Amino acid sequence: MDTLLNLWSTIESWMLAFPVVIYLVKIGILLGCVFAVVAYITLAERRLLGFYQSRLGPNRVGPLGLIQPVADGLKCFLKEDIVPLNSNPLLFRLAPVFAFFPPFAGFAVFTFALPWVMPNGRTYHYSVADVDLGVLFIMAISSLGIFGLILAGWSSGSKYPLFGSLRSASQMLAYEVPLTLSVISVVMMAGSFRLSDIVAAQQAYKFYFFIPCIIGFVVYFISSVAEMNRTPFDLPEGESEIIGFHTEYSGMRFAFFFVAEYANVVFISMLAPALFLGGYDIPFVNDLALYGAHPNIVSILGVCSYAAKSTIFALFVIWVRATFPRYRYDQLLKIGWLVLLPIALANLFVVAGIKLFLLK
Amino acid sequence: MEAISKFIRMITFPELFKGMAVTAKYFFQRKVTEQYPDQKTILPYRTKGKLHVDIDKCISLCRFCEKVCPEGCIKVFPPPKELAKTDKRPVEFYINQEHCLHCGMCVDSCSTGAIHHSDEYELVVIDFKELLGDKETLPYDMIKKHYRWNYLENVPVKIKDSPLKEEEKSQ
Repeated sequence: MDTLLNLWSTIESWMLAFPVVIYLVKIGILLGCVFAVVAYITLAERRLLGFYQSRLGPNRVGPLGLIQPVADGLKCFLKEDIVPLNSNPLLFRLAPVFAFFPPFAGFAVFTFALPWVMPNGRTYHYSVADVDLGVLFIMAISSLGIFGLILAGWSSGSKYPLFGSLRSASQMLAYEVPLTLSVISVVMMAGSFRLSDIVAAQQAYKFYFFIPCIIGFVVYFISSVAEMNRTPFDLPEGESEIIGFHTEYSGMRFAFFFVAEYANVVFISMLAPALFLGGYDIPFVNDLALYGAHPNIVSILGVCSYAAKSTIFALFVIWVRATFPRYRYDQLLKIGWLVLLPIALANLFVVAGIKLFLLK
Repeated sequence: MEAISKFIRMITFPELFKGMAVTAKYFFQRKVTEQYPDQKTILPYRTKGKLHVDIDKCISLCRFCEKVCPEGCIKVFPPPKELAKTDKRPVEFYINQEHCLHCGMCVDSCSTGAIHHSDEYELVVIDFKELLGDKETLPYDMIKKHYRWNYLENVPVKIKDSPLKEEEKSQ
């Protein structure tokens, strides 16, 4: 034990000499976890969709089909990479990257648990960069993802992908404003843009923000489904019927779009618990440290609680996908502007009233 | 008042929850997928699968099956006339199962019920020659080893009461 601690203190002194190392390690761990989760959420979705449709889903590769994501990745990796003659070659190659990076960049501002305390008293935070404008950063970075889709359709030099991009642009007009307004209500309740502050505020108030902002939560859910480009709002791609923006893509470039979509699902499913469901707070316990629990145990349980909440959210998203047919894009605009926007504005006033008069 | 109730319906989406209840019901139902190499389908009686011939029943000189076959994939070699007076069994019997349509006309035309469909449906082979059935491979004993073979007992009245069947019983 002593030798381990000595080893750790030498490593720590090196890391303190070069603080960038800490960030690199954190980014490595975070990206590894996110990639693993993204790989397995594709499998989870395919199997669960099978269950919802009275099928079994893919279960042949490995036990319960658990090696299926690896097989999918290998297949996409080995396929031919085609660049159409009509396309704009530079933008065509850049578009998957544009679609790919925003959800992964957004993970940087999450806080996954209370800080981990080392035996020598130094604390390590479960976050890469817990900036004080975290929510704004997330809003900005997740809106960037749409550029990838529009560029992909436009640079393909083919009309059907272009239609996909058009639908994607119109969809963005529909969902962005209600989404932001519903998040603003949470920010009003917490009084801070920092994600860890929002969770701390929910711990301090002893209730989760989906109770005062229940309308905002519904609006957030609907418009985040639109942001994830998933059924019933999967207008940009329309896997089965309407032809989507990534029609001309093949092999690894297509895999980039595919991974980006599921990374978005993970991203939104991680964001919603932090904003509305108390994040890493353990339900019905409020603060374990009050019961004399060791802070490290509290933080590990917090990570588990956060993971459970976001898993439930992601499963709900898959359930929604299994159920509903697709909306037309004029219908989506109608929902966005005539239903969700007024409701989100009303929710803003309701939450402001609660904050002003009920919680002093 | 109507406008208010319409607005409430608009923001609470009751129909959406009905739909989700339906899919949730399906989630817990028994799955219909049959995992083919592991679980083999139990086919109904009278499945028109691979043909088989009971060589002992065949009287070979009629060659009805050979004449009626639209694909011409059956070839019967009857014994020479002197032998045929005592033993009518074919010298050789070929069915090219690769070309067989499973139309069942040979089965209908057979006067002794010697030729039959089996419920063997796995006709995928590496070499087409494996599908060429001859006197050795056509009898259903070969198939019986691997497949449930009890539909003769369950075929309704007509064949059950046929004299051939009675004869078989008496033996």
